[in-house]
Amino acid sequence: MNSKVEAEKKPAVKLEHVTKKFGSKTVIDDLSFEIYGGEVFGFLGPNGAGKTTTIRMVVGLMRMTKGNIFIQGHSVKSEFKQALRQVGAIVENPEMYKFLTGYQNLIHYARMIPGIDKKRIDEVVELVDLKERINEKVKRYSLGMRQRLGLAQALLHRPSVLILDEPTNGLDPQGIRDLRNYLHDLTRKEGVAVIVSSHLLSEMQLMCDRIGIIQKGKLLGVETVNEFVQEGGEKVRLTVDDGAMAARVVKEKLAIETESIEPQAIELAIDHEKIPVVIDTLVMSQVKIYGAVSVTKSLEDRFLEVTGGKGLV
Amino acid sequence: MSNFFALIQNENMKIYRKNATKVMLIILLGMILAAGLIIKLNQPAPKENTQWKQSLVQQNKMYQQQMAQVKGSKQAVNYYKQTIATNQYRIDHNLKPAQGMTLWSFVESAAPNAALLISIFAIIVVSTSIASEFDTGTIKLLLIRPIRRTEVLLSKYLSTLMFAVFCLIVLFVFSWLIGGIMFGFGGAAEAHLSYINGKVYETSWVLAIWKNYLLSCVSLFMMVTFAGLIASAFRNSGLAIGLSIFLMMASSIIIQLLGGYSWVKYVLFANTDLTQYTTGTPLRSDMTLSFSLTVLAVYYVIFVIIGWLFYTKRDIKA
Ligand SMILES: Nc1ncnc2c1ncn2[C@@H]1O[C@H](COP(=O)(O)OP(=O)(O)OP(=O)(O)O)[C@@H](O)[C@H]1O
Ligand SMILES: [Mg+2]
Repeated sequence: MNSKVEAEKKPAVKLEHVTKKFGSKTVIDDLSFEIYGGEVFGFLGPNGAGKTTTIRMVVGLMRMTKGNIFIQGHSVKSEFKQALRQVGAIVENPEMYKFLTGYQNLIHYARMIPGIDKKRIDEVVELVDLKERINEKVKRYSLGMRQRLGLAQALLHRPSVLILDEPTNGLDPQGIRDLRNYLHDLTRKEGVAVIVSSHLLSEMQLMCDRIGIIQKGKLLGVETVNEFVQEGGEKVRLTVDDGAMAARVVKEKLAIETESIEPQAIELAIDHEKIPVVIDTLVMSQVKIYGAVSVTKSLEDRFLEVTGGKGLV
Repeated sequence: MSNFFALIQNENMKIYRKNATKVMLIILLGMILAAGLIIKLNQPAPKENTQWKQSLVQQNKMYQQQMAQVKGSKQAVNYYKQTIATNQYRIDHNLKPAQGMTLWSFVESAAPNAALLISIFAIIVVSTSIASEFDTGTIKLLLIRPIRRTEVLLSKYLSTLMFAVFCLIVLFVFSWLIGGIMFGFGGAAEAHLSYINGKVYETSWVLAIWKNYLLSCVSLFMMVTFAGLIASAFRNSGLAIGLSIFLMMASSIIIQLLGGYSWVKYVLFANTDLTQYTTGTPLRSDMTLSFSLTVLAVYYVIFVIIGWLFYTKRDIKA
């Protein structure tokens, strides 16, 4: 899927040396990265890392102290209208007008961009599964329903860049799965670029193609989810008849330290090619092997590892 | 620009869908109705007066003598001249003066208090419209559209002014109806006499009332703009409402306290009452209508520029 993106090479969103200071405090420090159409980009970082601040600058709610941001080639600074025409977004909580109904809220946003007809509004309502409650006042909505309405207003004008700050917040499992599938369709079928920030790391693993990790306003790296997870090294879990003996064998014969020893299993952090060697050695040393599974680290493990495990919800 | 019309539509929807706005309109209607009832119940039954021409002639004679005594005061002399001329016009043209309250005099007397009430409402509406979106957080979804902040602010401001005009129309229609119900629709045909440059003319009551409304609106217009500035600067609707209403209410006291200083003429509130140049006397003898209009224009431009800068240039942290 990345080959198509590589071929086009035109970023949907491009951050260039973006810096933001509040007074003398640097909150975003020289952030540069690019996001392409057709991918879901996960923006990951502990509380206060600067995710929301970055998103606010992308959508023009905050000015950057230095740098520039381009959306489909239009600078947010100098071509605000053209740039924002391409963007649908939720920034932090989707706060809507509580004294209006869901439908009136959508009409409100629909009026602000030309070319959205009643049919499109109904379509989006259907899409976020709010049809039954759309004519109720928003003050009677639950958190998840507001989140769905927030998603609806972001999608109304068929944006080519969709920015969702913690969109899964408040959604039920069905809602999360629907969102995931929908984002998948949007990117694969319509080539939309999606930016998602979330604390639900396991969610990100399923939802995102690439992730950028940000901490204290600095970008620690942008990688595909697979690269990111695998970089921490692979682990192999072997189910054996005698864990202690197996551990001793690999240590004596192959000089490999065992990560964890259980009575009937061991886990080893070894390269892919080493796995058959270990198995051969164990078999020759009369250790009975009942199973071998390779365990990749979860995104969460990696995330904690990279950010030092501090300041995470 | 078709887009701008949509913005106005949006702001109107947000203004009129709020319960607070509905309550305001109910208060306005209630106040007019109550005023009509109170006046009606306290008014003695009108006596049939067939001798009105004689009594006007007598009145004029008395005023002539009094006018001779107060020669020093230009204001008093003017008042007597106007009354005498108007009375004479009535005698000459066989126009019987009204007895007690009539439809039109009710509409006229409801105007000052209602205008103050509408000013308060307009201040509340503009402050809420601008600042409350920061409190509720809806400002974020509002300002990420491909629309300049200037246009958003302008749509809020214009919608508030439209709301004020709407209130004035409601006031006019409703006080006309109540006036008619309480004091007879027969009074609708009554002539309005105005005294312009020493001569008496028969003019339309409708025009006279709207001129009256418009003059009261000078203060409304300035205070709404001021409230908009405070709301943009502090993003706090309570502060904008409180400060603006307080200043508006205290304005006459402020002017009295500062009355001794010559620079009082540069104070906003010394210039918001333009009736000082039509029916009253100017606060200071060196003040003229064009002076006041200039001062008002300067304040207005300052309010607008500062409010606009605050609204369009600052980060949205809500
Ligand atoms: N208006 C402000 N003035 C000063 N500092 C601010 C302001 N807004 C945010 N910050 C600081 O900027 C940093 C980044 O905040 P931001 O809201 O972007 O974090 P985040 O990554 O979205 O966190 P979370 O996961 O909690 O949503 C924080 O340290 C925060 O204290
Ligand atoms: Mg955040």
